[in-house]
Amino acid sequence: MRVLCCLDGTNAEQIAKAAEMLSTIQPLTLSILYVIDIGPRAEMDHLRERFFRSSTQRLPHEQEMLESEKSSARDILNAGLRYLAHAETIEREGRPGHEIVNVAAQWQADVVLICARAQYGGKASIGPKSVGHVARFVLDHAPCPVFLVRQLAREKFPIAR
Amino acid sequence: MFLFFPVPEIWKTALTSLIGLVTLIGLMTRPFRWNEAIIAMVGAAVLLLLGLISPADAFLTLIRDWNTFLFFLGMMGLSALAEAAGLFDWLAVQAARLAGQSAARLFLNVFLLGTLISMILSNDATALILTPIVYLLVTKLRLPVLPYLFACTFIADTASFLLPISNPINIIVLSRFPLDLWTFLRLLLLPSLVVIAINIGVFVLLYRQQLKLSFDINRLPSAEASVKHKAYFRYTCAVLALVAIAYVIASALQFHLSFVAMAGAMLLLIGALSWRQITLRETAKRISWSIFGFIAGMFVVVRAIEDTGLTTIFGKWLLNLSGGTNFGAVMVGTAGSALGTNLINNVPMAVVMNSALGSIEHAPTAIRHGFIAATIFGCALGPNLTTVGSLATVLWLLMLRQRNVDVSGLDYLKVGLIVTPLMLLAGALTIWLLL
Repeated sequence: MRVLCCLDGTNAEQIAKAAEMLSTIQPLTLSILYVIDIGPRAEMDHLRERFFRSSTQRLPHEQEMLESEKSSARDILNAGLRYLAHAETIEREGRPGHEIVNVAAQWQADVVLICARAQYGGKASIGPKSVGHVARFVLDHAPCPVFLVRQLAREKFPIAR
Repeated sequence: MFLFFPVPEIWKTALTSLIGLVTLIGLMTRPFRWNEAIIAMVGAAVLLLLGLISPADAFLTLIRDWNTFLFFLGMMGLSALAEAAGLFDWLAVQAARLAGQSAARLFLNVFLLGTLISMILSNDATALILTPIVYLLVTKLRLPVLPYLFACTFIADTASFLLPISNPINIIVLSRFPLDLWTFLRLLLLPSLVVIAINIGVFVLLYRQQLKLSFDINRLPSAEASVKHKAYFRYTCAVLALVAIAYVIASALQFHLSFVAMAGAMLLLIGALSWRQITLRETAKRISWSIFGFIAGMFVVVRAIEDTGLTTIFGKWLLNLSGGTNFGAVMVGTAGSALGTNLINNVPMAVVMNSALGSIEHAPTAIRHGFIAATIFGCALGPNLTTVGSLATVLWLLMLRQRNVDVSGLDYLKVGLIVTPLMLLAGALTIWLLL
């Protein structure tokens, strides 16, 4: 089974555990993907337009920004390799949701493993806002089944009927 | 054209209004992604060619606002030359070092730094120069980017009415309706502090999870590494300190602030050229020249509309809507300006409001001050409502979302919609209490 694991910089361990669960069913071919989000830079371009600067003009420190984003992506993928040593690594740049579904199609993934949203040490949450916009997009648009990874939240049950 | 062929006044009024309206719609929608300056200048050129405003009148309008043009030039020059010294990089690294590895403290430091830069060098410097530097900093520190990015973009406007020089909008409004420094501070300092506190409080609440992280300061270069030339760096700090003091003195004496900005920029330029830190060509590249065309075009278009009496009617309508009360003046002024800035950008909105407020000159002082302070406040803070662009862009994004198209811009919009109405309301109420 070809499993595409989506990393967000906070979820390598969770994704690895989920992959391990799947590996008990059948042998896996793993790939770990990290997408450099171009949203923040697009936001800075919007800001330049609002202040009457040409959006085609280079941002100050643009080269350094690109290098730093690349280096951050390498760190995240290396962190993923610590848990999933034999996985192939894929790095993309763009809108995360779009890139994930496109890579899933291109790589012919049988399953996409993705966390509901980035976790920064908070408690597990349930409810309509517990799935972030990237995971939401992947659930809606993926070309294959999606395995949504989330923290255990049993203490929040039973919910009101 | 109509200077040579007599045409009934009603036709001239209708045509001027139509051209003004098309110009404003052009600014809202920006067809073919045309630069705003081109749209405003085409509007002005058509009015001139048709004789709907005389060249002499247009020339006098531009000459009368020389202070605004010079201030824009001086302000952009100061920021560009301070950036060349590495001042912003140095300040950002210091903010990170003082945060003691805590993401939350760094977040607060970014807010404080943004406030300081907006206050002295204007919102332009915070939004355009500090934001990319902070983005780079947090990427290097492996922290989540969005909270810090939003901190910079929001504080640029939130802290932009602490002093008259904190936002060029303030200069545009004050050129027409001068307020002495004491009145400006009395009406706008406390509202500034209130909205800054709300901005920080709401953001800390929104991003509380991300702010629990810590970072490794060793990922950053030393602060000294950001300084490109020590002597020029020290010189820049000294000149900016002098400029800050001179701004306060000039505001108190109601002396033209553009002279201070230009003198500071000239001093920095001389230093930068002497130490070979920048060339004239590089300095010129860092200045947005199109903004002068945009402002000039807008001044001429609004002047022509003013002659038709439409802006006077608009001003009287605002006055009626306020019910002739201080409370009404502040609320109507704030809501109108904030809404307008999201429709047509804040610079043209300030010019339109300036013209409209001409008709309230005989209103009681408190109402007049209420409208002036609310215009500055609404035009300065309003853009935070739709950080993704104008209201037209937002409506378009909402339409796409309704059709199940994923639009990441909406995630950016949410933040503005949560925090800005709250800040506008709290700030307006504070202004009203201070009238």
